[in-house]
Amino acid sequence: MATNDDVIVEKKNILDLFIEGAQRGFTIGTTSLLPNVVMAFVIIRVLDVTGLLKLIGIVFAPIMALWGLPGEAATVIITSLMSMGGAIGVAVGLYTGANLDATQVTMLVPAIYLMGNPVQNIGRCLGIANVNTKHYAAILGICVINALLSIWFMRFILMFF
Amino acid sequence: MKKENEGELKVPWIGYVAFFFAVLVFSGIFSSYDGWLRVFDFNVLNGSFGKIEGVEKVFTFRGAGGTGARDGFLFALELIPAVILALGLVNVVDGLGGLKAAQKIMSPILRPLLGIPGVAALANIANMQSTDAAAGMVKELVDLGEITDEERSVIIAYQTSASAFITNYFSSGPAVFSFMLVPIIVPILVMLLFKVIGANLLRLYFKFVLRNRLSGGAKNGNE
Repeated sequence: MATNDDVIVEKKNILDLFIEGAQRGFTIGTTSLLPNVVMAFVIIRVLDVTGLLKLIGIVFAPIMALWGLPGEAATVIITSLMSMGGAIGVAVGLYTGANLDATQVTMLVPAIYLMGNPVQNIGRCLGIANVNTKHYAAILGICVINALLSIWFMRFILMFF
Repeated sequence: MKKENEGELKVPWIGYVAFFFAVLVFSGIFSSYDGWLRVFDFNVLNGSFGKIEGVEKVFTFRGAGGTGARDGFLFALELIPAVILALGLVNVVDGLGGLKAAQKIMSPILRPLLGIPGVAALANIANMQSTDAAAGMVKELVDLGEITDEERSVIIAYQTSASAFITNYFSSGPAVFSFMLVPIIVPILVMLLFKVIGANLLRLYFKFVLRNRLSGGAKNGNE
């Protein structure tokens, strides 16, 4: 989802810079965010219509309770393994359907990015940097640990807001 | 952009102003002000859609009670202005040197926290916006002999988790900005914190697990 833009700073005026970023925002919005959100809403719909969402809610309830989240929140975390935009979409879909409240969605936000789509990152980050394959498992494990710890941390932070 | 940075990034003063501006806008400090200072708030700038009068309630064009692909589509349409605005602002801040300023301010703190050489700073700046470009720069550092294999893994542990966090967060995050209960900037700080924690988990892993397992083996080589 990240774009390869130049790191070199050129002299451009602020309006040009804004337009340039805005164009990228439009492209990302229409070609990445929109399909991701539609996909997420369809997934939620499928899970909802088939009754699987309820089942996931029940099955994962004891685990997710560790973070003070309902079982349905597991769908957000599972989706984040494959797509960050999708996971945000799922979170919003569950919020719209009143399966998650604003507090619970807020707790999940950093976790979605910290998990950071490990399926893609194996190629895009570890592969490109040519990381020692012996370290792969540890690095990917750390993404999961970071994500799970951050949910607790957000819960703590939310006590101040 | 390979070696000129040896810990010394050049940041124009406008870069610091831009960074400060970004922190203000995304911190939500002025969101509840009544006066003109509200202009320094992302959600104020993002504005709101007009409302459609219903019989009992008012709705935005998305309405209420929709489901599936159609509801997702309208919802995504609602988000796109926020993404356009956010990436427009980020590009202005970046173009003025704001992201470099951020890294410059952070690197004296980050360097000891990560235990990696200063040459990695530029790769870590790139990592704010791009996964691939940053990872490519790290590979180059190893090829040039600037960092070791293990240092590479530590840097990549930092980079992989929440990679390209500025771009990714502002590309999909606006979906939750309107009802999220913390200022927009807070999740960014939390991500940064855990990126550092993650890199250090890997350092600990190297120190205690790998060392013990292959004590005596060829370790810490460049390849």
